[in-house]
Amino acid sequence: MSQPEQRGIDPRGPRFGAGITAVLLLVTIFLALLPTAGAKLAAFVLLIVIALLFAWGTFAGIQRHPYGLLFKNLVRPRLAPPAELENPAPPTFAQFVGLLFTGVGVILGAGGVEWGVWLFAAFAFVAAFLNSVFAYCLGCQIYLLLAHAGLLGRSRRGETLHA
Amino acid sequence: MSPLAAAAVVVALVAATTLLGVLWRSRQGRVRTTVHPALVRPSDVGVDGGFGERATLLQFSTEFCAYCPATRRVLGGLAGERDGVEHVDIDLTNAPAVAKRFNVLQTPTTLVLDGAGAIRARIGGAPRPRELAERLDQILGETHVAA
Repeated sequence: MSQPEQRGIDPRGPRFGAGITAVLLLVTIFLALLPTAGAKLAAFVLLIVIALLFAWGTFAGIQRHPYGLLFKNLVRPRLAPPAELENPAPPTFAQFVGLLFTGVGVILGAGGVEWGVWLFAAFAFVAAFLNSVFAYCLGCQIYLLLAHAGLLGRSRRGETLHA
Repeated sequence: MSPLAAAAVVVALVAATTLLGVLWRSRQGRVRTTVHPALVRPSDVGVDGGFGERATLLQFSTEFCAYCPATRRVLGGLAGERDGVEHVDIDLTNAPAVAKRFNVLQTPTTLVLDGAGAIRARIGGAPRPRELAERLDQILGETHVAA
């Protein structure tokens, strides 16, 4: 919490990025459902790209995500200043959840499980769309569920999420 | 699957997710009246004291909760305007036992305790300020009459 980049961010930035992600995930799902091998391969590659972007957001922090830079340079200058700034930890956690979903999809896809690609892309889409359109906060809704299930321990949390 | 069927699946997914979002939003921040026989003491949530004489707004937060800071301000304001009412914020990030005990699955979650420590209302998500103020004043009114 003492790092200088932990200052507040414009809450609209992550929602803008989630919107782009949601559209890319819809394209992934559409391609994965098509019968041709080429379309399925394209869906798989696109899911890898989306997972890598989530990994970027998770490990570099939401402030250094490429969509965040896009927002800062192209979108934010056209908007009124935000009503208030937000802590970057919750949207960075949301990136981690996105990485989990798309990561499982990529692993299943690599193992030849075709439905894994569209199914996990669909899970990630639901999260990204709710985040973007309804300001759904994954950190608020999912963190304690994962902690309950024992998926997030005390020590692991510090390592994975404060990178 | 044909391109048309695939497109239909995509449209259905967007529609279903929109419905989910509308449902979620309609439930967020609503004040639910609860009846709990057990009393909550400060030690139950890991603090030494700080509960209000007439009521306590007990907020549960985590580090990954985007709406907790705003909720903190709303609850702090409501408590500050009323005598004998305190706002207590508990960070559950490293306290899974407390989360489990009060069955907190989302943050912020707010419990409204009366002067005795009984849970009188529960709010999941960022509280709707006017709705909460009404319920709080109702509880304070009862306490006043009883005392």
